[in-house]
Amino acid sequence: MNAIMKNSICKQFAGGREEAMQTKYIRNFSIIAHIDHGKSTLADRLIEYTGTLSKREMEAQVLDNMDLERERGITIKAQTVRLSYKGEDGEFYELNLIDTPGHVDFHYEVSRSLAACEGALLVVDATQGVEAQTLANVYMALEHDLEIIPVINKIDLPSADPERVRKEIEDVIGLDASTAIMASAKTGEGIKEILDAVVARIPAPKGSDEEPLQALIFDSYFDSYKGAIAHIRVMDGYIKKGMQLRMMATGKFFEVTDVGCFGPAPINVELLGTGEVGFVAGSLKNVKDVRVGDTVTTAENPALQALPGYRGVTPMVYCGLYPVDSADYENLKDALEKLQLNDASLVFEPETSMALGFGCRCGFLGLLHMDVMQERLEREYNLKLITTAPSVIYHVHKTDGEMLTIDNPSKLPPATEIASMEEPFVKATVIVPNDYVGAVMEISQNKRGEFKSMDYLDVNRVMIIYHIPLSEIIYDYFDKLKSATRGYASLDYELADYQEAKLVKLDILLNGEPVDALSTIVHADNAAARGRMLAAKLKEIIPQQMFEIPIQAAMGNKIVARENVRAMRKDVLAKCYGGDITRKRKLLEKQKEGKKRMKAVGSVEVPQEAFMAILKVD
Amino acid sequence: MRWGIYIHIPFCRQKCFYCDFPSFAGRENRMEAYTNALCREISAQGTFIGSRQEPAATVYIGGGTPTMLSMSELTAIVCALRKAFPIAVDAEFTMEANPGTVGAGELKELRELGINRLSFGVQSFDDALLRRIGRVHTAAQALEAVENAQIAGFKNLSLDLMYGLPGQTLGQLENSVETAFSLGIQHISIYGLQLEEGTVFARQRDMGRLVLPSEETAEAMYDYMTVSLPQHGYMRYEISNFALPGFESRHNLGYWQDVPYLGLGAAAHSYTGEQRLANITDIDSYIQLLAAQKSPALEEEKITRKIAMEEFAFLALRTTQGIDKKAFETKFGCPLASVYREAIHRMQEKGLLEEKQNHVHLTRLGMKYGNIVFEEFML
Repeated sequence: MNAIMKNSICKQFAGGREEAMQTKYIRNFSIIAHIDHGKSTLADRLIEYTGTLSKREMEAQVLDNMDLERERGITIKAQTVRLSYKGEDGEFYELNLIDTPGHVDFHYEVSRSLAACEGALLVVDATQGVEAQTLANVYMALEHDLEIIPVINKIDLPSADPERVRKEIEDVIGLDASTAIMASAKTGEGIKEILDAVVARIPAPKGSDEEPLQALIFDSYFDSYKGAIAHIRVMDGYIKKGMQLRMMATGKFFEVTDVGCFGPAPINVELLGTGEVGFVAGSLKNVKDVRVGDTVTTAENPALQALPGYRGVTPMVYCGLYPVDSADYENLKDALEKLQLNDASLVFEPETSMALGFGCRCGFLGLLHMDVMQERLEREYNLKLITTAPSVIYHVHKTDGEMLTIDNPSKLPPATEIASMEEPFVKATVIVPNDYVGAVMEISQNKRGEFKSMDYLDVNRVMIIYHIPLSEIIYDYFDKLKSATRGYASLDYELADYQEAKLVKLDILLNGEPVDALSTIVHADNAAARGRMLAAKLKEIIPQQMFEIPIQAAMGNKIVARENVRAMRKDVLAKCYGGDITRKRKLLEKQKEGKKRMKAVGSVEVPQEAFMAILKVD
Repeated sequence: MRWGIYIHIPFCRQKCFYCDFPSFAGRENRMEAYTNALCREISAQGTFIGSRQEPAATVYIGGGTPTMLSMSELTAIVCALRKAFPIAVDAEFTMEANPGTVGAGELKELRELGINRLSFGVQSFDDALLRRIGRVHTAAQALEAVENAQIAGFKNLSLDLMYGLPGQTLGQLENSVETAFSLGIQHISIYGLQLEEGTVFARQRDMGRLVLPSEETAEAMYDYMTVSLPQHGYMRYEISNFALPGFESRHNLGYWQDVPYLGLGAAAHSYTGEQRLANITDIDSYIQLLAAQKSPALEEEKITRKIAMEEFAFLALRTTQGIDKKAFETKFGCPLASVYREAIHRMQEKGLLEEKQNHVHLTRLGMKYGNIVFEEFML
């Protein structure tokens, strides 16, 4: 970390201070916003305005963040920063901004971050309006009794319509938006007003230093020197270096070796008192010991109860990850273990596929989580991977009364042993301009959705709620929504329940041999059509080889579709101009590069994308 | 150490529709300056390496269309060459020639210059097809050129024939091949059409105006040629080259057998044994560099041990003889199997490769799917 910055922060927060900040000078808040509504820019402005970091220092720190986050413009890991702000009353306030992950996959993580706050800024784009994800997070914030300060952002844009957005906030969310702050994170307009509103309107934390320690873990990360580090909000009591602490859910004991706050880089402090936000590190080797939502208390004088709301890790989707080169299996396992150090929500176990050999079955919070992990494995650990199509978790009731949970289609028992099956359903909230209502309904209907409700948010925006199988959502529901609504649709979903459905296993045979990694579980009514489309898609993806390759889709013993990849007749570069060998070699290198993405399944070379083809049919 | 010389003449009367080689039409006004520049490069290179080398075993003047140059220009080039380099008395001295660009008198002069092998870009003996692929000559002109060359005393003639051309039928190809058999030539090269970006054919394809024979037909053409040529005495010695015994092109074999060669002229490539170099492609830049007494060569790349092994293997595999295990071991100090055991095994299993006592070579099937095998030898 930059030494100058470290000094300035330490002076502000730690310099000579022996006691905890009085709670009346603390404000804990987060920012709720839809992607692209300007959350990060606003956070940057707040950091800059309060002098926590200069512009240059900020860039340096932002660069330290994961490439993927910046590329995708989303926050995967929450960022927390402590700001020092001199309020209107002349007093210095400690403002803790707890940034939240901005994606539907990370519902639970968001809820824990919100639970660490007393208030939230609701940032809405003045040119757009309230979106589905914003709505979901606002409701969550209201459930946590947070004070919500509406901020209408991007008012500098010519197409801004702050009055319409203000009315929408009132109509849709039912918040009083008369005091909404008009702001532009880009130009800096409204930043001071926001900071003053945080001080004036968000309640100071309750709780007492005298009570037994209760601190909420709302995030964690792994530091190769310090081990697992918990991001915490102290509800009651205080934390000092050397204290013996206990995690109430996991039962893990540890001694505090470091305690500190975020500037946004970690800075050690003497203690974290009631109401404060920061980090605690100790003899914790594994992020699994630091569960988001868990309560930290003292070993000596523990709190009677844990804080409410803790939930174990519950993956929503599973997929198989296999190294293209079987020799990389151990490397894959190592890499997953390392990623797990930083991400307790990633679960995996070894699995074997007849077609793909040794690999790992991995559970993720959602599709984005899965994508991000896969990309990190490939980029940071230099692994070439085959990913099988994601699967949800099915409940399979066998005829002998046993209930199985199946997250891998190839593990489904034979149809004769299955009495019934259930699949997870979600409550999907879609917000679109009313011109697209028909399109949304058509897509949702086709995806086996059950219409629940439709409400007008304003004269031309509609919120539609469907009860829909999760498996359909992870296929291409959102892509379809986006394209049918020219990108206007916003989607949020949460797990609703499990319901019985007529499900069957669709197998794919290549060259007459079933390929387990290509099996999927589909609804019986769609199975034949899906089989045909999948076979056709595979025909496009699988390159010609020296022999003809029949592709068949089958339900049980019944073949429902057949395609052929014709044999390649010949493959040889003839001409070699005047000794230009380099060009020839480059062609071969390119050809080999393409081959690296292929897995030999029996005698057939199958490209990686074939295993995800099921997501690209319809 | 055996070595060869390649000379590039980047001029053509018209660009053939399939061609993406470095050759240019409509640049006739640069031919004289180019010849001067080329002679300069020849003498500069001669000064540099001439005395340290044994005589060149092969010389190959290719293009483009070397016969676009006037006889005096060609003479100047050959004279510069002989002055700069020792050339073996029994050297193979080839020039590419396009029918329609050389007459009987010129062929005689070329023979007198010491050129002893001609390679004619005939492609087909079907006039409609020749027009369709942008050739500037007719079948009759090709026949005439071959006859004139024989009258002029050439005893080593080669023809290029193409297959898989738009509108081409197997029957047409058979006729062309039969015609070639009747000419008393010594060498035939066969090339399947490959669509290269930037060619007229690629544009026609993009506009939907290119109808090629089906893959099956193209395969039947290939099969026909690889069977009928040997039946008529033209033995296959490399994937696309066939010759009467003793008439294999020594220069082209050099490319596959790790023989160094010096490339002269715009876009010419050289191989020193350690390094591959390429001269600048643009004709004017080439002329300017040589006028300024600068080298036109750009280093393409250093040949690492890995690259050297790959190239040694996939180039040798193009020949019927295949990889000479002893030669590999002599060059790299380790047995072929220590590097390529698995690749060889995999390709044998697929029936593409055969291992003998001293050599590893493509099977008949392997010749057809050469790229699959070569790729396996990329490390």
